[in-house]
Amino acid sequence: MMKVTENEIGILKVVSQVSGIFTVIVALTMIYSLVQLKTINPLDNPAFITIKEQFDKEPENASKAEQVRAMDLMARKAYFSSRRQVETGALLLLTGVIMFIICQRLISGNEKAMPGIPGLKPDLRKNQARNRKYLLAAASFLTVGALTISIILRNNLPDLRPQALSASSDEVSEQQKDKKAARSKRSKREDKVVIAEDFSPDGTNYPFFRGHHGRGVAGGKGYPTEWNGETGMNIKWKLQVPMMGKSSPVIWGDRIFVTGADGLKGELYCIDKKNGSILWTADASGIPGEPSEVPDMDAEAGMAVSTAAVNEKAVCAIFANGNLICHDHEGNRKWALNIGSLKNIYGYSCSLIIHGNTLIIQHDSDERLSMLGYDIETGNMIWETPRKGHPAWSSPVIGTFDGKPQVIINGNPAVSAYDPVDGKELWSVDVLTGDVAPSLAVNSSYVFAVTDYARLAAVKPGAGAAIVWEDNSYTTDVSSPVANNEILVIATGYGDVACYNAMKGDTLWTHYFMEQFYSSPVIADGKVYLLDRGGKSYIVKASDKFELISTASIGEPADCTPAFSDKSIYIRGRNNLYCISEN
Amino acid sequence: MNKRTIPYILFLLMLLWHTVMFAQERFPRPEFESGYVYPEVQMPLQRSVAWEYIDVAVLVLALSVSAWLAIWKRSRQGLIWMAVFSMAYFGFFREGCICSVGSVQNVSLALFNADYSIPLTALLFFLIPLVFALFFGRVFCAGVCPLGAIQELTGIRPVKLPKTVEAVMTSIPFVYLALAVLFSAMKSEFIICRYDPFIGIYRLDAPYTMIIFGILLLVAGIFLNRPYCRYLCPYGVLLGIFSRFAGRHLTITPAECTNCRLCEEDACPYEAIVPSNEGQLKEDTARSRKRFIAYLLLIPVFAAAGGLLFHTMAPGLSRIHRDVRLAREMRIEQETGIAAISKAAVAFRETGETNEQLFAKEMEIIKRFRKSAPWAGIFLGLSLGISLLSLTVVRKRTEYKPHQGKCYSCGRCFRYCPVEVNRKAK
Repeated sequence: MMKVTENEIGILKVVSQVSGIFTVIVALTMIYSLVQLKTINPLDNPAFITIKEQFDKEPENASKAEQVRAMDLMARKAYFSSRRQVETGALLLLTGVIMFIICQRLISGNEKAMPGIPGLKPDLRKNQARNRKYLLAAASFLTVGALTISIILRNNLPDLRPQALSASSDEVSEQQKDKKAARSKRSKREDKVVIAEDFSPDGTNYPFFRGHHGRGVAGGKGYPTEWNGETGMNIKWKLQVPMMGKSSPVIWGDRIFVTGADGLKGELYCIDKKNGSILWTADASGIPGEPSEVPDMDAEAGMAVSTAAVNEKAVCAIFANGNLICHDHEGNRKWALNIGSLKNIYGYSCSLIIHGNTLIIQHDSDERLSMLGYDIETGNMIWETPRKGHPAWSSPVIGTFDGKPQVIINGNPAVSAYDPVDGKELWSVDVLTGDVAPSLAVNSSYVFAVTDYARLAAVKPGAGAAIVWEDNSYTTDVSSPVANNEILVIATGYGDVACYNAMKGDTLWTHYFMEQFYSSPVIADGKVYLLDRGGKSYIVKASDKFELISTASIGEPADCTPAFSDKSIYIRGRNNLYCISEN
Repeated sequence: MNKRTIPYILFLLMLLWHTVMFAQERFPRPEFESGYVYPEVQMPLQRSVAWEYIDVAVLVLALSVSAWLAIWKRSRQGLIWMAVFSMAYFGFFREGCICSVGSVQNVSLALFNADYSIPLTALLFFLIPLVFALFFGRVFCAGVCPLGAIQELTGIRPVKLPKTVEAVMTSIPFVYLALAVLFSAMKSEFIICRYDPFIGIYRLDAPYTMIIFGILLLVAGIFLNRPYCRYLCPYGVLLGIFSRFAGRHLTITPAECTNCRLCEEDACPYEAIVPSNEGQLKEDTARSRKRFIAYLLLIPVFAAAGGLLFHTMAPGLSRIHRDVRLAREMRIEQETGIAAISKAAVAFRETGETNEQLFAKEMEIIKRFRKSAPWAGIFLGLSLGISLLSLTVVRKRTEYKPHQGKCYSCGRCFRYCPVEVNRKAK
């Protein structure tokens, strides 16, 4: 070993300490970088995914392609610079270790390796007695540890009673068959009778987009299953709505409310349910703060995509220029205001919903993501809860979980629930990516979220909200799913309709209907009403087996979701509103 | 610079050289629109069979040189050079595979599964170090094992652990061996390879958690020399057993021990020096005989208790098998509705196999575990009983000698012996 002086040993000690500390710091930094490198995939960046999906939809769009390339290059650069940092860190770490080991070896090599002066000669017998004790203690310690771990590991293993294990393979196989049969029976029983339906809306009012609570489940019975818009079969009346709109009709008592718009001018119509005459029209333009031009949006959309909301006292409507109006049932304006820009890539489409005396708005624009609560009497804002993520085109629904009503929205990336009283976020779970337009389906146990190019997922709501089951075989881009406690139905933008076991996620049936679906399916009187973009309705039994009851057509294209009230169905086509009734 | 420092510098250079091998492709490939076609993926060719024989030949040669250096040449410096060579060849060049430590599992798999044919190299790598241990002690640990070599070179400032901690820790390798043999025999897992702390350093291609574990062990090894060998190595258990019967073993002194006691305190960081008991009072023979008989009778009791314990633990242990883990996941899905989303579950659904078939397979595996696990428990019970029995026998010792089971034949104790120092001075 190289000889060094006392002074040099002192220097070596300092160098060794410095290099030791340096090594530890570099090691910790590297561990952090490695964890980042291992856990973060740069291509999972939501902004990148969104822009890629947009590009997939418009492959000819050169500026989108350029954006994708630029983001891809940026992500790669970031990734490789992290890698370079790790590699440089490895060299620094090694240098530190080399310095430390060389110093330590030189120091220890030059220390006089003289043995310590032994005390009393060890008594071998005593040593042995002590070692026996230690050995037994170690064995006991390991045994207790092993038993504890074993008990923990046994969790969720099969029936291990002796008779089950001692059975021969054949017996096991027989037992398995019996169990399978029993399980199959039980499963079938469970499929038939799930959880008692606790949602029974009244059969007259249909106050929001997709009815009570926005759930797509109508009350009442005896709705027609056959009609023909061209021959007039079961068409009680038909009204040409003065201005176009994609919003759906809502109903309170004998009055139907629907919105329309032309350029910057928006209107709310109140229609007599009995004969289809317009009782009054409310102008929704000229409100202070409204923009001077129609916001940029998808050419198909227009200003009146959001559906109005009504309760026993008032009806409220919102338009894509941010104008929000509230009238009583006689057409007198209670208040009106402009809530700010609602500009986003496809145009604003979130519908309104009312809980108690609070009008709830999902404010999704490029500039602001918020949940807003307004006093329906005064128009004053009661609460605002900002959200994170990207704009969505879905509408809020109301679900009741743990005995508490919650306003729940389908967003990108989170499905989130809010207290309708104070707007406080109750729970949130990341589920989807991309453009989220379908609203949620809700039953007594779960919330169902879906959008195209992502997935269909059942979410268990509450503080520990989590995905219970998921599938990506059938997804939808515009139409919202509908669920009761037994089935979940989705109508896709490519003509497929799929029915799932709502509780387990098994696909019960699928059917291809040729035409696209934008309108959302509605469950009414044990049937599922599906309306395609061509205006043709398919009425199928709401059960685990596919059974087409009838088909019917209004004779014009339709993207709105029908309303159900007092044995009549109200469908808004491209130009006309139809009342379909067998009476 | 003294020639003694050269091995360490070489060792560090090897580590340095290896850092350039760090890169591995993880980032997804760019999507070209220009029609660029990626070259086909090149798979490395299988190693030639000749290399396997070369490996065996190198092993035999290294063991022979190691034995010569430890027993006849008595050169600690030579053994360090040997460690550098082994680290370079078996570690960095052969990337730690095949190694004798892991070969325990191949042998176990072959013994209990007729459908597995063990490669001759694996068998030889398992047997040859044991044969050498039977003749010359643990010369494999001294400078041939790549796992031991890397620790030997970084063990700079030995610190002794409290005896209680040492006693608990040194029993872990027995448990590790029992589990490794059981799991490989049950076709479940090669845990020794999966949790090899240094393979990641030799290949720099392991899960980062294992690389960090390896580095932490090396850092700990600066003070607690050879932590893996002492507190984990399952092959060391077998080597220790064989080495106890070694015909020729390293000695502390080259000549007759003078009982100077200078090697008693600091010479061996592994507590592997057995002192002489000359002049100590003899215990009453009847009493010691009684104790001996009592511990002898306890051996079958310990063995039975171990068997029972492992029989109870068998279902829990069976969770190491992937099919049992998969069945558990599918059962949870079936019973609670929580979807099974692991890759194994997705792949399982693709096979078209039913849950019932999987559950039947799971029961078969648990049955096998119930049958086999008790033997692992019996082995541990017997080991405990025999160890305790050996601690009741006091042999007359007139000189300081290495404990043949524990000694790694590393030669650290040489320079503490004045006889050896005198010999070297001449």
